[in-house]
Amino acid sequence: MSVGRLRSALDGGLRHTLAYGLAGLVVLAALYGLVFPETMVGDLLRLATSKSTLGAALRLAVPIACAAVGGIFAEKAGVINIGLEGLLIISAFTGVFVTDAVGSVFSIPGIWVGFVAGVLASTLLSLLFAVVCIRFRADQIIAGLAVWLIALGLAPFAATVIYGSVNTSSVGTLGTWTIPVLSELPFVGPVLFDASPTVYLMFLVVGGGWYVLNRTSFGRHVRASGENPKALDTAGVDVTRVRYLAITLSGVLSGIGGVGLSLGQVGQFIGNGQTMVNGKGFIAIVAYLFGNYNPLGAFGASVLFAGLDALQLRLQQIPAYAVPSSLVQTIPYVTVIVVLALVGHTRVPSAAGDHYESGED
Amino acid sequence: MSARDRIESGLRRLVAASWAERLGLSFAALVASVLVGGLIVFFSGTAATCQEPAYGVFGLTSCYNPISVYSVLVTGAFGSILSDPFNFNVALTFKETTLLIFTGLSVAVAFRAGLFNIGSQGQLIFGGLASAITVLTAGPLLTGVGGFLLVPLGVLAGALAGALYGAVPGALKAYAGANEVITTIMLNFVAEQIAFFVVSAYFAAPDSQSVETSQIPPAAVLESALFGSGSDFSIVAFVGGLVLVAGLYYLIKYTAFGFDLRTSGLQPEAARFGGVDAKRTIVSSMALSGAFAGIGGAVWVLMVLGRFQTGVPALGFDGITVSILAGNNPLGVVPAALLFGVLKSGSLAVQLSTGVPIQLVGVLRGLIILFVAMPEFFRLLGKQFVTTDREPAVATDGGEQTPTEPSSTGGTDDPGGER
Repeated sequence: MSVGRLRSALDGGLRHTLAYGLAGLVVLAALYGLVFPETMVGDLLRLATSKSTLGAALRLAVPIACAAVGGIFAEKAGVINIGLEGLLIISAFTGVFVTDAVGSVFSIPGIWVGFVAGVLASTLLSLLFAVVCIRFRADQIIAGLAVWLIALGLAPFAATVIYGSVNTSSVGTLGTWTIPVLSELPFVGPVLFDASPTVYLMFLVVGGGWYVLNRTSFGRHVRASGENPKALDTAGVDVTRVRYLAITLSGVLSGIGGVGLSLGQVGQFIGNGQTMVNGKGFIAIVAYLFGNYNPLGAFGASVLFAGLDALQLRLQQIPAYAVPSSLVQTIPYVTVIVVLALVGHTRVPSAAGDHYESGED
Repeated sequence: MSARDRIESGLRRLVAASWAERLGLSFAALVASVLVGGLIVFFSGTAATCQEPAYGVFGLTSCYNPISVYSVLVTGAFGSILSDPFNFNVALTFKETTLLIFTGLSVAVAFRAGLFNIGSQGQLIFGGLASAITVLTAGPLLTGVGGFLLVPLGVLAGALAGALYGAVPGALKAYAGANEVITTIMLNFVAEQIAFFVVSAYFAAPDSQSVETSQIPPAAVLESALFGSGSDFSIVAFVGGLVLVAGLYYLIKYTAFGFDLRTSGLQPEAARFGGVDAKRTIVSSMALSGAFAGIGGAVWVLMVLGRFQTGVPALGFDGITVSILAGNNPLGVVPAALLFGVLKSGSLAVQLSTGVPIQLVGVLRGLIILFVAMPEFFRLLGKQFVTTDREPAVATDGGEQTPTEPSSTGGTDDPGGER
């Protein structure tokens, strides 16, 4: 026990060092940029702190952060959900398809009907994953891979059936909601309070996720289910039920992320190659590992990854920095690898990956 | 049950059951995914638009008929094989099979060592790229003697590049504890982007709209014998794949490295006590796994395309399915790859004659993995048909689906019946 505690303390220390180190570097770079605004660093600083970059970072963080919070619930409950990517894909597609297929229903705009449908699709797929993992005791990693590959096949398949191409037609986005007074605030106002509704939803997901996980009895059950299911069972709580709920919740939240991607940003589903989701589900997993299973930490990591993405998008628009876009696009993935290598020994909930059946041994 | 029976059945299980179970499970998974795939085809047909008179059940009309889809799939994969065994469709099937043997082996060897290599795709991309660059560079230098040297050189380059790229997640896992599932997936994305950059910046074909290298010298092309030219299938590559299958089987089964690999896959703790250098085994298994994928990439370049082109087909992901279907046994990789070869080449015919998109194979790929992941499902399904008073001793299998023996003799142990 003490060895484990020592290990986790060390890991926590490493993560802290890393986080502070990163923050320190950013502050140094920012200072340098402020002092010498004519240099490249100064340019980068201006770019990185511009309203459009920060706004884009938040928008791009939506699928990652939502899926990450979902992943936290599943893994905290003892089920590693590696299929987050698949959940994002299926909801991104369904959202657009349903928006396109229905007009407004009872004066609810079609895009919101699509939104709900996308979340529902992801929820159903996660429920399938839950049944496969819990009822049929499948290996969680392989079942998660299956969820990813099924969605990766199914969405372009359905798009081809319906639209004759792996991409859907365009349905427009949810647009932005401007919050009257708050958006007038200097600097933060336009970034935080003149944003896509999905960004507000993300804040809700992150804050709500933190609250539910840490301050409610359901959250306590989820954590116990991942750490010590036997104790939870002894206390009279149905472990299986908790795990079903947690996985389903990961589906709901990933669904919000997926629809946030297709309807919140692009207004279309793109099914080429790895589809428009393009690894965001896996980045979400790394985000919550980096955030140490804390929704707030995961949110921070998501914004970091999304910020890199936003910055590389901006860099490509500036001819002076004609870095080959294909190389710049590797930055988020390489960052994920580096982060994972540095915090490889995360303290996974001790029962994660294991099956639990009431009355076993 | 007497003690003797118990020992006997235990032994029998040890000798035969593990592969027989996997066979039964793979077969059952295949049947189940074909059934579910058929449902998906039917229901997607209700959303599709078509001029053909629709086909309907229970008031639902569908543009696609699952049964004809599957029959077109099989006939499309083989063409008129009886009158003309070397027809174009067969060549196409074997082309896909050959490519999948390499990626299937790649995933299988990692799996055997207890590692999930989801990165075969990236390793294959780098293998193909390295192979193309090597033969393009070496071609002009080796004119005359070229033919016999260029192909091995290209394959070697592919294997090396794949091995190096596979060793990276291996080392990250061994020395930094980074989960190889995530790192290999990330490295797939990285490989795709880097290949795009390298080709477009340094090796782009002068007058081409797509991002691709120039055509490799004719001497480096794996020629299609037997099957007509333009079939993109080389018997040499296929036989080479079979040799690798045998080699890997031998390596895993009879060598000290194979023993280390298997034990660290099955019992990492025991392996460590047994003196296996776990870290080195992880890195070398991943490198070996990457080498197979890299050879796959080289074959894709030398046999199929004759150049490297970005937008590499998902051979690495299909390799996961092939390996899982094969029970991660190198010998099983051949039939599993053939099955997938049939699926892939047949799906072309399906798209042409029934309009069902070729992406159906991707759906089946996921479904197969899903069903293989849950042997418990088939055991419970089997219980509906067989009543057994014994506890389920073996992990289970799909054999119970078609019970051929009375339950009292222990039908759960012998899934071979349904073949």
